[in-house]
Amino acid sequence: MAIGVLALVGTRWGLFTLWGDNDRRGWRVDGPLLDGWGVYHAMVDARDGTFYAAANHIVYGPTVQRSADGGRTWQRSKKIGLPEWSGLTVNAAWHIEPGLLQQPGTLYLGADPGLLFRSDDAGETWEPNRGILEHPTRDRWFPGRGGLCCDSIQLDPGDPQRMYVCITAAGTLRSDDGGQTWVPVNNNVAADYLPSPYPEVGQCVHKLLLHPARPERLWQQNHCGVYRSDNCGDSWERLDGNGLPGGFGFPIMIDPKDPDKAFVIPEKSFEYHYGPIGRLAVHRTRDGGQTWEEMSNGLPQPAWATVLREASAFDADSLYFGTQSGSFFALADGDTWVEVARHLPPILSVEVTQWSR
Amino acid sequence: MVQVVIPSILAAQAEGRQRFDVEAETVGEALRALPVADLLLNERGEWSSNLHVYVDETDASERGGPACPLTGAREIRIVAALSGG
Repeated sequence: MAIGVLALVGTRWGLFTLWGDNDRRGWRVDGPLLDGWGVYHAMVDARDGTFYAAANHIVYGPTVQRSADGGRTWQRSKKIGLPEWSGLTVNAAWHIEPGLLQQPGTLYLGADPGLLFRSDDAGETWEPNRGILEHPTRDRWFPGRGGLCCDSIQLDPGDPQRMYVCITAAGTLRSDDGGQTWVPVNNNVAADYLPSPYPEVGQCVHKLLLHPARPERLWQQNHCGVYRSDNCGDSWERLDGNGLPGGFGFPIMIDPKDPDKAFVIPEKSFEYHYGPIGRLAVHRTRDGGQTWEEMSNGLPQPAWATVLREASAFDADSLYFGTQSGSFFALADGDTWVEVARHLPPILSVEVTQWSR
Repeated sequence: MVQVVIPSILAAQAEGRQRFDVEAETVGEALRALPVADLLLNERGEWSSNLHVYVDETDASERGGPACPLTGAREIRIVAALSGG
C-alpha cells in the first residue's frame, strides 16, 4: 500500500489538491476545485474523510462546501446566517475546525465579523455561538485589514468543555463550559497600536495553536510578537529576539511530537509583508521559544513573499507553507525545502493529511 | 413564465444548469425560486451591490430591486460586476 501526504491548498481562485509521496519530493498537482472561489481554509475531517472548504466570493458571499468523494462533487451548507436582531451579516467564512473524536458530526466555523458557528449535522446547517455573538466586550473589537476574522479555533483534547477562539482584533477568548461563556485571555499580550498597550481585548492574534500532547501549552503568532502560554492562556510570555529577526508574521506551526518546538515565518513589519531584507525563511525554536534558528535551505533568495495566517501546516514528519505569489513548499528530509508547485493563484490556506491507496 | 440566466460560476453550484424557467411576479420571488438563492440574496433578501440583475435588458435596481415587477418579462439575466487588474 502506498502512503503519502495530501495537501489541500486554498487559493484566491479555487482549491488545489497536491498529492505527495512519502518522502515529500514527488508531487502531483490537481485542480482547481471550487473554481473561482476564494478558499480561505480547507481541511479533511480525519473522522470520516470528508473535505470541507470555507469558500468565499466577493459577489456571492461566504459558503461552507463539503465533499464526501475526495473533491469530485461538492454540497453547499445551508445559508450561514445571523438573527436579524444582531444587526450583523456574515462577511466571510474563515476557518473550519472539526470537533473532537467523541463528537461525530460536530464542526466549528470561524467567520467575519467576529463569529463562531457550530454544526452538529456534519456541516449541513450552522448555528451562531451566542456567547461570542453577544460578548460584552464586542464593542471594543475592531477589524484588521482582513476584517474582523475568527481565524483560530482550538479544542482541548483532554477537556471537552475547554476551547479557544481568536479574533482579529479582539484577541484570544477561552471557554471552560463548552462554549456557553467566554473569557478574554490576553494577559501580557501587547496591542501597541492602541492607547493602552495591554488592554483586556483588542489584541491582533494572527494564529493560535494548542499543543495536542500538552494542552495547557498555547503558541500564538501575534501582530505584536510571538507568544507562548503554559497555563491555558492565563498569562503569556513574549518570545522575540534570541535569533528571531522580528516579531511580526502571520502563520505558526508546531511539532505534534515535541511541545518545545515551534516554527514561524517572520516578516519585516506590519507595513512590509515580506521577510527582513527580502529573505524568505522559517525560524524554528527547539527550547520553548528561548532561542530561534533559521531554516532556509532550499528556499529561493531573495524572495519578497507573503505567507498568510492560514497558509502553513504541519504533521508529525514535516512542515508546509504557501505564498501569495503562488509557490508551495514542503520540508523534505528534515531540513531541506522543496518547491512543490509554483504559479498557483495567491495561496490563502494550507492543510495536510495522510493518504493511502 | 420567465427565464433566469445565471453566470457560469453559479451554474457550477447548480449541477451545471445555467437557465431556469420560473413562475414569479417579482424579481425577488424569481431569485428565491433558484437553487442558488442563498448565494444571490442576503438575510434581508437583498442582492450585493456587485451584482446586476437585468429584466429584459433593464436594470432591476432602477425599478425597485427585488420588488421589480415581472409583468410581461421574458428574461432575467444576472451579471456579476467584477473589475480590477
